[in-house]
Amino acid sequence: MKNLKKVSLYLLALLAFGFASCESEDPEKENEGEVITDVTLKFQELNSSNALVGSVLSFKASDPQGIEVGKTPTVQSISLAKGKKYQMTIEVTNSIEGEDITQEILTEAAEHQFFFLGPVFDSNIFSIQYADAGGIALGLKNTVTVSSSPGTNNSSMRVVLRHDLNKSFAGANNPTFANFAQAGGETDLDITFPVILN
Amino acid sequence: MIQKAILLCVAMAVSLGTLSAQKCGLVLRGRVLHLENNQPIEAAYVWLSESATGVATDANGNFTLTNLCPGQQTIQITFIGHKEIKQSIVLNSATSNLTFKMEEEAVALTGVEVHGHREAVQTTTAVSTLYGEALLQSRGESLGESLKRVAGVTTFSTGNTISKPVIHGLHSNRILILNNGIRLEGQQWGAEHAPEIDPFLADELTVVKGAETVRYGPEAMGGVILVNPPALPTSKKSITELNLVGNTNGRAGNVAVSHAGGSGKYPGLGYRIQGASRRAGNVQTPNYFQGNTGMSESSLSGALGYSSSKIGTEAYYSFFTTELGILRDAHTGNLSDLLAIIENGAPFTQAEFTYTINNPKQVVTHHLAKLKAHYHLNPSWKLNFQYGFQKNNRQEFDRRRGELNARPSLDLELFTNTAELVLEHNLKSHWTGSMGIHLIQQANSNVPGTGVTPLIPNYDLLNGGVFLMEKYLKGPLELEAGLRYDYRTVSAARYVGNDLQEANLTYQNGSVFLGGRYQINPNWAFTSNLGTAWRPPNVNELFSQGLHHGAAAVELGDANLDSEKSLKWVNGLEYEGKKGTVELTAYANQIRDYIYLNPTGETFVSLRGTFNVYEYLQADAFFYGLDLSGTYSFTENLNGYAKGSIIRAKNTETDTYFPFIPSDRMDWGLSYSLGKNPDQGKNRITLSNVLVAKQHREPVFDLAPAPPAYALVNLGYSKKLELFKNTLSVSLQVNNLLNTEFKEYMNRFRYFTADMGRNFQLKFNYQF
Repeated sequence: MKNLKKVSLYLLALLAFGFASCESEDPEKENEGEVITDVTLKFQELNSSNALVGSVLSFKASDPQGIEVGKTPTVQSISLAKGKKYQMTIEVTNSIEGEDITQEILTEAAEHQFFFLGPVFDSNIFSIQYADAGGIALGLKNTVTVSSSPGTNNSSMRVVLRHDLNKSFAGANNPTFANFAQAGGETDLDITFPVILN
Repeated sequence: MIQKAILLCVAMAVSLGTLSAQKCGLVLRGRVLHLENNQPIEAAYVWLSESATGVATDANGNFTLTNLCPGQQTIQITFIGHKEIKQSIVLNSATSNLTFKMEEEAVALTGVEVHGHREAVQTTTAVSTLYGEALLQSRGESLGESLKRVAGVTTFSTGNTISKPVIHGLHSNRILILNNGIRLEGQQWGAEHAPEIDPFLADELTVVKGAETVRYGPEAMGGVILVNPPALPTSKKSITELNLVGNTNGRAGNVAVSHAGGSGKYPGLGYRIQGASRRAGNVQTPNYFQGNTGMSESSLSGALGYSSSKIGTEAYYSFFTTELGILRDAHTGNLSDLLAIIENGAPFTQAEFTYTINNPKQVVTHHLAKLKAHYHLNPSWKLNFQYGFQKNNRQEFDRRRGELNARPSLDLELFTNTAELVLEHNLKSHWTGSMGIHLIQQANSNVPGTGVTPLIPNYDLLNGGVFLMEKYLKGPLELEAGLRYDYRTVSAARYVGNDLQEANLTYQNGSVFLGGRYQINPNWAFTSNLGTAWRPPNVNELFSQGLHHGAAAVELGDANLDSEKSLKWVNGLEYEGKKGTVELTAYANQIRDYIYLNPTGETFVSLRGTFNVYEYLQADAFFYGLDLSGTYSFTENLNGYAKGSIIRAKNTETDTYFPFIPSDRMDWGLSYSLGKNPDQGKNRITLSNVLVAKQHREPVFDLAPAPPAYALVNLGYSKKLELFKNTLSVSLQVNNLLNTEFKEYMNRFRYFTADMGRNFQLKFNYQF
C-alpha cells in the first residue's frame, strides 16, 4: 500500500510538471524575408553606337506591405519615345527589410530568369534582348527597341521573374518565351506595366 | 480543474486499500477458428483452470463463460487433431472477446504463435480490425494506406507519401487516432499533414466507424483509429519479429524489428522494444518520375509493464521522425503557374530517379510518452489512470532565395499533455460501465526566424471533459448509453506585421450516445448506434490569414466560427456462416455548422501575380452511405472476397457538393491455395481488382474537373516456409500490374501528376 501511494505521488508530480512545463511562447514579430515590395524598371537611351545617353527614366511597381489581402499594388506607367533604343535594368527590393534582392538574383543567376510578355511584344512594339554581363540569360539588364511606327500609343508589358527553372529548356533563352511554365519552376514576380508611347 | 483532478486522484489512491473484495461477474466471450482459413471449429473444449469452469464451442465456434473472477487465468482449448492452446490471459474488462486460432496437429509447424485477438474497444458501433495475415499484407505501407483495406476507409492524400485516413468521408481533425491509447496530437489541419505514427508498432489497427466523442473526447466525430501494440508478455518467453520489405517503385526499402520478453524471476513483468526505418526515392508513374518525392522515416518504441491480479502498470515511449519530399511542380508561385500545370496534366520538370530530398520538403518529429496504471479496487470496480506527454515538431521548407532555403517557412512546436482517470465497474447484475475525467492541455508555438508571417498563431488550449457510460448485457442483447460534457478554452496570439492579434475563445458542448447489439441467431448479429459529437473549430480555421505557400491560395479564417455538431446513426448487420461472411454498415450523419474552405470566386493581385481567395464558412451538411464487405469459400482451395463503399455528402443549405469526398469504389479478389492443406495457406496466389468510379458529385468550384474512373489489377503470391523451426512468410506482390496511368480524386496531386505506376513488392516476415 505504501508503495502504491509513492507511485501515485510520483505520477502526480510528473503530471504537475508536465502541465506546468509547457505554455506557448509569446509571439514574435516575423520579418518577411521572402517578400518583394518594389520592382523598378530603369530605362536609359542608347545611341547608334550603343553608348548610354540622356537621363534615367524610372518606373516602379510597389506593394509596401508585401502580399496583403485587400490591397492592390501600385504600378506606374512606362513612358518611352517611339523609334528609340533603351537599356532596361531591373531593381528588386524588399523595403520592409531594407534588402536589395537584385544582388541575390544575380548571385543565383543559374536559378532565376526574367521573361517579358504581353501585347507590347505580340504587336511588335518592343523588341528585347538580354544584355546581362557574361551573356547569360537572366534579364536584370536588357536592350529594348521601341518601334518607330507602333500603330498605338497605349500598350502593356508583363514582367515575369521565374525561380528554379530549367534554363536549358528548348526556347527558354528567348526573353519573350511565352511557354516559360514548361521549363518548370515557379513565379516570384508577375507584374503588368501599362506602356505609353510618345 | 487540474487541482480537482489531483485531489480526486489522491483521494482514490488513499482509499484503495480500504475496500474489500466483492463477487466475480466477468464474462468471457470468444471464438475458436482454424488458424489459416478462419473457419469456425465446433465442439472445441474451452477450460479455465483457475475458475474450474469450461464449455464447448457451438457450430460457429463461439463460446461464453460467465461469472468469472478478474485477474490472471489460464485458458486451455482442445480439439481433436489440433494442437492444444494453453495461454495465460488477464481478465479485467466487463466482457472480454477473444479469438483463438487452432493449428492442425498433422503439420509439423512448431513454434507458431497463437494469435489471441481481443477487440481493442468494446462498443456497439461498427468496428473493423486489421490484424494477423491482413496486417502482414499491409506491412511497409503508411497508416492511411494500410487502413484502405477496411471497407469505408479511404485516404485523402498529397502525393504517394502523405496520406490521411478518411472514415465515412471525414478526415483530419474530424477523426481521432490513438497511439496505444493516447490521442495523437500533431498538426492535423492541413491536407499535407500525415499522421505522425508508424503502423509497424502495431499488431492491430482498429477502425471505429461511429461517433465516439463520449468515450474519447471532442473531434472523434467521424470515427476513431486505434493503433495498438501487442500486449506485453506476462510470463517468461521471448518473441522476436523481423520484417523486410522491398519495392521496385521508388526503390523503397523497409526494415522493422521488434523484440518482446517476459521475466521468469518476476512473473508479470514484461517489456518490448521495436524499431523501423524506411527509405524511398522518387516515385515513378507509368510514363515519368515525380520529381522530389523521396522520403526517409524512422520510428522507435519501447514499453515496460508489470501486471498482477490486482494492479497493472505500463510505461511506453514512441518516437517518430520523417523527412518527406514534396513534388517540385506542386509548389506553384501564383494562379497562372497553377493553371499552366493543371492544363499540362503532368509535371513540367523532367525528373530522374534519386533518393535526394530537396525543398519543398517537410521534416517532422513526434515524441510520445505514456504512463498507465490500473488497480482493481475489488472484483467489480477498477480504477484506470493514464497520462501522456507529446511533443511534435513540424518544419516545412519551401523553395526560397539563397540562404533562406535552409530556413523553414513553417516551424511549429506543439506540446500536449493528456491525463485521464476512469473508474470502471462490472456488476453481476448485467451492468457494466465507466465514468471518468479527461484533461488535455496543449501549447503551440511558432519557432521564430522563418521569415514568414505564421499561418497559425501561438496558442494555449485547455480542455476538460467528464463522461459516464453504462452497458447492459443479457443473453443476446447488449445495450449501451453514455454522456459527456466538455469545456475548452483557447487563447491565441500572433503578430501580423507590427499588429499583435489576440483572441480568447471558449467552447462547451455535451454529447450523448445510445447503442445496441443483438445476436439474432448464431449467424446473424445486428448493431445500431446513435450518437452526437462535436468538434470545436481548429486554430487554422479561426485564424488563417494569408498566402498558403505553394497552393496559390489566400486563405481567410473566421474567429467567430461555432463548433461543428453532428448526429450520426450507424447500423451494422453481420453474418458469419460456414461458407462465408458478410458485413454491412449503413450510416447517416447530419452535421450542423460543418466548416469548409470555400472559394470566394475572387482573386487577389500582388506583385507575385494572382491568387484565388478562399474563406472558411459554415453550413449544414448531410453525409450518408454504405460499406459492404464479404468473403466466400467456393472450395477448400478457392476463396473470394469483395468490399465496397458509397458516400454521399451534401451542403444542405446551398444544395451543392463538398470537395474531396471519396467516389464510389470497390475491391474484389480471388485467392487460390495450392497443396494438400489449403487451410495452411502455405502457397497462395491472390488476384484482385480495384474499381474506382469518377466523382460525378463535384463542388461548384474546383481547379480541375474530377479525373476519370479507373481500374487496377494486383497480383500476389505468398508462401510460408519453415526456417530453423520457425515460420518465414515470403510474399511477392505486384500492384498496378498493368501499369495503368490513373489519377485519384482524393489525391491533391491529381492536379499535377498521374498516380504511382507498377510496383513489385517483396516481403519477408520471420518470427522466432
